[in-house]
Amino acid sequence: MTSHDVSHGSNGPISTPAPSSGAPSSGAPAQLSPLRRFLLTNEFGLILLIVLFAVLFAVTTRGFTTPFSLFTLGRSAAVNIMIGLSMMAVIVTGGLSLAVGAIGVCAAMFLGYLIQSLGMPWPLAILAAIAMGAALGFINGFAVVRTGLHSFIITLATMSIFFGVMVFLTRAEAFRGLPPVFADFGKMKFATYFSPLLLVTLAAALGLGWLYRYSVLGREMLAAGARPEAAELSGIRVGRMIIYCHMLSGALAALAALMLVARNGAAIPSMAGQLGQDWLLPAFLGPVLGGTLLNGGRAAVLGTCLGAFLVTMLSSGLLLMRVGEFWVQSFLGLLLLLAVLMDKLRRSYLARRNLV
Amino acid sequence: MTDFARRIAAASLLSLGLAGAASAESDSMIALVPGGPNPYFTAWEQAGVDAAAEFGLAASDFKVPQKWELSQQNQLLESLLSQGYNGFLIFPGDPVGSISIAEELVANDAQVIAGAGCFQDPSPAAFCLGTDTGNSAYLGMQALVKSFGEEAKGKKVAHFTGFLVDPNTQLRIDAVKKAADEAGIEIVQVIADIDAPEPAEEKINAYLAAHAGNIDGIITTAWVPSVVSANALRKIGDKRIHMVGIDHDEVVLQAVRDGFVHGTMIQNPYGQAWLGSFALDKLRSGCTVKEDAPFIANALTTKFIDSGTALIDASNVDGYVDVMREQTAKIYDGFEASYLSCN
Amino acid sequence: MTPFSRILRTDWFGPLIIVILAVVVIRAFSPQFLSPLNIQVLLLAIAVNALIAYAQMMIIAIGQMNLSVGAIGGLAAISFAGMMEVWGIPAPLAAALALLIGLLCGFVNGVMIAVTGISAFVITLATLAIYKGINLGITEAQPFYGIPANVKAFGNGSLFNLIPLIALPTLVAAVGLWFLLFRLPAGRFILAVGGNEHAAQLSGIKVGRTITLAHAISGFLAAGAGILVVARVQVGQPSIGDDWLILSFAAPVIGGAILTGGHVSVAATTLGVVIVALITQALVLFNIDPFLVQVVMGGLILVAVGINRLRETRMQALKRSV
Repeated sequence: MTSHDVSHGSNGPISTPAPSSGAPSSGAPAQLSPLRRFLLTNEFGLILLIVLFAVLFAVTTRGFTTPFSLFTLGRSAAVNIMIGLSMMAVIVTGGLSLAVGAIGVCAAMFLGYLIQSLGMPWPLAILAAIAMGAALGFINGFAVVRTGLHSFIITLATMSIFFGVMVFLTRAEAFRGLPPVFADFGKMKFATYFSPLLLVTLAAALGLGWLYRYSVLGREMLAAGARPEAAELSGIRVGRMIIYCHMLSGALAALAALMLVARNGAAIPSMAGQLGQDWLLPAFLGPVLGGTLLNGGRAAVLGTCLGAFLVTMLSSGLLLMRVGEFWVQSFLGLLLLLAVLMDKLRRSYLARRNLV
Repeated sequence: MTDFARRIAAASLLSLGLAGAASAESDSMIALVPGGPNPYFTAWEQAGVDAAAEFGLAASDFKVPQKWELSQQNQLLESLLSQGYNGFLIFPGDPVGSISIAEELVANDAQVIAGAGCFQDPSPAAFCLGTDTGNSAYLGMQALVKSFGEEAKGKKVAHFTGFLVDPNTQLRIDAVKKAADEAGIEIVQVIADIDAPEPAEEKINAYLAAHAGNIDGIITTAWVPSVVSANALRKIGDKRIHMVGIDHDEVVLQAVRDGFVHGTMIQNPYGQAWLGSFALDKLRSGCTVKEDAPFIANALTTKFIDSGTALIDASNVDGYVDVMREQTAKIYDGFEASYLSCN
Repeated sequence: MTPFSRILRTDWFGPLIIVILAVVVIRAFSPQFLSPLNIQVLLLAIAVNALIAYAQMMIIAIGQMNLSVGAIGGLAAISFAGMMEVWGIPAPLAAALALLIGLLCGFVNGVMIAVTGISAFVITLATLAIYKGINLGITEAQPFYGIPANVKAFGNGSLFNLIPLIALPTLVAAVGLWFLLFRLPAGRFILAVGGNEHAAQLSGIKVGRTITLAHAISGFLAAGAGILVVARVQVGQPSIGDDWLILSFAAPVIGGAILTGGHVSVAATTLGVVIVALITQALVLFNIDPFLVQVVMGGLILVAVGINRLRETRMQALKRSV
């Protein structure tokens, strides 16, 4: 598990450097106007790409700008952003979680069980399902901290276990008798273009932005991820922070899955693919495009949102362009490669010009 | 390549060349959307091409989601609607989970029919055109019983079937059990969740290696297990074990020809897409579904039309496509009169 | 140190004991278990899975991970089947070309990682999507059925009705890998880079070249596994490789491989594959709920990494006390 990428570049407006990482060693950064500084951020690059592709799709395809198309684009993006944020919450620790999909599906199925089999009122069940996600995240975090093993192998095992137990208990049967409020919420439109799911995601993103920027807890999470030893010395309980990060990730994964439940009107065990594997690509695309460093210590909330939005827009646009539905995955892979390369170049440019 | 597959390939090439050139009498753009890639649905493509030519549709295109995954199918359907398609034959990725998208399609003035599998009532789909999977499994088991002849009672049969997440799987398990009970046959083992080639290979071979001596028959009710079992029986070289498979994979058909497999229950995907395209066009031109149409009720819906199932054995194996076309023609005769009211 | 305690300390000893125990137990409950046919079935599963595990093992050896093993295997599999069906290329040539494709895919992974210095996880996640996308783009998710008779015969054939022909390439690969890793300089470099990249660089090893080599070999092995699956299931399924990820890690880890790199064993990884195969078969033989298979696999990985972790700390303690 080598991660070579140790440069600490500027990560844009919402990303926050860990307190313990202190001032850059290369001396005071050169003076830049705020505008120029913004133009050099990852986020600006993403916005540029989003605008470029939006124009391209609007001109070349039929139907990209119809209200229905834009509405569904926003709705899909809402779910993908949430999945990306869920992964970002763990990446902050320098770890990762392969189990986000499995946790999400488990939480959604738990919701179905509570409502359909136990007759629990739905607002309560939603809270319980999110708690379930956090609990499964706790198991991951606890195992990672206690064994000292990399989260990759722990979550590889737990994704199999969580999903297996869920399938065993539910006999892989979907919960289809949910109250109509879920399906209605999923189909609801306001101002003809927007899905309320976008609002949920927006709220979560703002919450996370606040957490990492202004709250003690969030800053301690970042510090624990950036330099565990230094953080420990300054009195931060690193193990506990790692567990909190996994719990946060689990709760966000549960939220993403609940949004899918709203979209489908049912809790379905196969909704994230076998073992929840189908969430992996969107989960990593968002944060990595957004400039979240995989070795931890930084959280690019806005970048993750933009990255996930770009990915959603590209896959929807490529479908509309009829370039062949089957090639979409290859394009996304290429995009990821290009993005990390660009980011790398940008960082070394900034470092060379002593702009960091 | 099989003859059938070659014909499909040729037709799709042709349709590529002629797209746009074809003069359409109707502005119906039909999309035939399965739940994901599966050889079962390849017949839909040919049927769409045939139907578009026959009924003068603007298009009747086969559009496959990349994966068996609800969100992939949803995204494809959303995209197709934005592209201007206005009639949809859908295999629901989930009988309830797909209702939301169907409602959105209908809300945007498109027509929806369920094909091969059904939505659960209430749904906005006009009706469901598919194989009665339970019934097909039941008939398949009966065919297997018949093949044992006089001393069927007390025989031991293993049942290999598909994904547990597919709601049809439980229906099939129950139907096979029912037919077996009626004939006094014991189902010694059900192996499920093996509709992918690698796990199917592994589990079926492991089972047969250990228990081939203890069973008298095999019934399979999913595509991949049929192929794997047919191959396994050929490998063992034992014609003592009787088997009835499902669907029209070339491997299974060849095993039927060579006598390793007694027969296979074909369903009628061709007819589903052909009739579906026809009906969607009619519905778009103002026809409505009759109140008193002779629908069948099944576990999911009260508006089911059986697209037919038939046993293919050594006697009719070479003409199985004709069997499908015959079945289709039979349903088409009087379809409009019995199910639709048009002005 | 006595020879016996040295054996105790090897990676393969523990897994070997587990394998023997498992065979004895399963045999006691199911007399057909050691029938020639069943042994053949077991070896078939082991042959393919071992190549998958080796493909990951090479990357674990340099302390990285390769998420694209399954995607490379799948792409090689459909290329193999497709070249034979569509272009009528004879099977041996098609297999060679498919292996070359695998080698190339792995080479691309390696070069990207070595040149950019971006983590292997991100690069192979991206190439996973690219290779899988190419697979789907070519096949449109439809399988190739036109597998020639000689390939089918190879897939069905066996020596003395006991050892499937498919196991032979795996055997060659196992011996070759052992020779490469423990007898050739290149292998020593690979393990050195995995053990301590910085130290390896200081001692004059070309790190980038070594990483690229390991990835190229990994791609080659994954392609081999894909080709064997085609010979075995006799269909060029685009979905080949989709569920290799967990398996590819499970076997080396059960065999004691340490994920931080520098420490792998061909024999122990093979035994890890055998353990997984035995458990899969036991679940079928004992008619255990198919729903529980995933749980068992996950639990097995956890137990194995736990034991490895213990051994690691013990060994370190031992080293310190010496």
